[in-house]
Amino acid sequence: MNPSNLIELYIQEVTRRLPEQGREDIALELRSTIEDMLPDEYEEAEVKEALTKLGNPAVLAAQYRDQPQYLIGPRYYETYIQLIKMVLPIAAVIGVIAVFADQLFIYTGSVAEIDWVDFMTGLIGGVISQAVSVMLQAAFWITLVFAILERSGVKESTGEGWKRNPKGWTPEELYRIRNIPVEKKIAKTKVFFDLLVTAIGGCIFFNADRLIVVYESGQNGLERLMPVFNQDVLLSYWPWVVLWLALDVTLSIYKWLAGQWTYRMAALNAAVYAVTLCVFASMLLRADTLISAAFHVKMGEWFWFGYSSLADGGFTQASLLWITFFAITLAVSIDTWQGFRKAGIQPRPSSYK
Amino acid sequence: MNSLLNSFITELRRGTLTLAVLSQLRERQYGYSLVQRLENSGVAIDQSTLYPLLRRLEKQELVTSSWDTSESRPRKYYVLSPFGQEIYEQLKLEWERTSRELHDLLKGEDGHESIKSD
Repeated sequence: MNPSNLIELYIQEVTRRLPEQGREDIALELRSTIEDMLPDEYEEAEVKEALTKLGNPAVLAAQYRDQPQYLIGPRYYETYIQLIKMVLPIAAVIGVIAVFADQLFIYTGSVAEIDWVDFMTGLIGGVISQAVSVMLQAAFWITLVFAILERSGVKESTGEGWKRNPKGWTPEELYRIRNIPVEKKIAKTKVFFDLLVTAIGGCIFFNADRLIVVYESGQNGLERLMPVFNQDVLLSYWPWVVLWLALDVTLSIYKWLAGQWTYRMAALNAAVYAVTLCVFASMLLRADTLISAAFHVKMGEWFWFGYSSLADGGFTQASLLWITFFAITLAVSIDTWQGFRKAGIQPRPSSYK
Repeated sequence: MNSLLNSFITELRRGTLTLAVLSQLRERQYGYSLVQRLENSGVAIDQSTLYPLLRRLEKQELVTSSWDTSESRPRKYYVLSPFGQEIYEQLKLEWERTSRELHDLLKGEDGHESIKSD
């Protein structure tokens, strides 16, 4: 082979691994450098010797590429792992619920006709594969976001993730950690379960036609009767439900980062609850169309003392709605109040100062 | 054990490499002349490290570069910028201080050993 071809091949092997910009300049410089290393009239053996000194073109290209050679560096590693640990189980649960919704939907007929062995293998197989696939999805997107964050050149002082103090760490922070009373703290496990409940809630909402269904024992054993809600009407609320999901998840992340109740957090908590209540109340007001006609009839059978729909000025349904609404308002109020109470707890005076 | 020693040596050298390169760039140099100057002073340098390092220094505005096409083949010359000069002087002071400290430390170590062996 012509020795100068060897040089060109080497340069090509380096530059093809580099970004377009700067490729030409590096090629030019490399060629001139290699020729500097060689005598005026060179042989193949001498070229080989020079190229050996420059080493593996892939390694050389990696040195030129001034980008991190890792996906997620030490800066974000801890936050990344914590997030993965929290999100993956939630993702798995969502996957499982989705499978249940699917499987239950398939068997619209009589439960007695179900081939149970078939059903269970299908269910278990589906659960495993769906859980794995949702977890992979979640892991992929989180990793992608962090990898972009790593490369976006967001300048950051040393310290872990985004929880750092701009002034740097001082021993004073130890007092603060020590002195948060247990009640004022927000445990990571609590945030985890909050997120889990939110995820389950969201899943059930979008699969209500398959999950919230009345079964009744009939001639052939248990029979699937009817969905409780009109899915069309229910789904017309989706922007509101998505808003609620987004607010709830944001609040949970804020709780996770802050780790303790403050007045600001209690206020945000109250605000999210207010939105939740509004969405819920607007649903209750349309309960007449929201609840399926078939289920209205069913309710009539259950409430032997007389059931009439809201449209008929019925007493029973109206009172049911009010009871539901007040129960939820009460629960929400208690939690809101608890938030403010916990925010008000003062750190114990330190015995170390 | 040998590879461990090698990794320590590499680590030791890595920090000093920038200083060595900056010191030679007070006069303008092209890649290969820099390699030769360093080698003549006994500083062994991996060429696959040096050329990318030069580009990085340029990106960090410590050196400036220019192509010289007047000779038989075009060459890219690098020279310290005023900012690079400043950084170089400070690094040099830091290095001198460190090597003095280390020198004293290591001498102390030798002293102990000679006492022990006596």
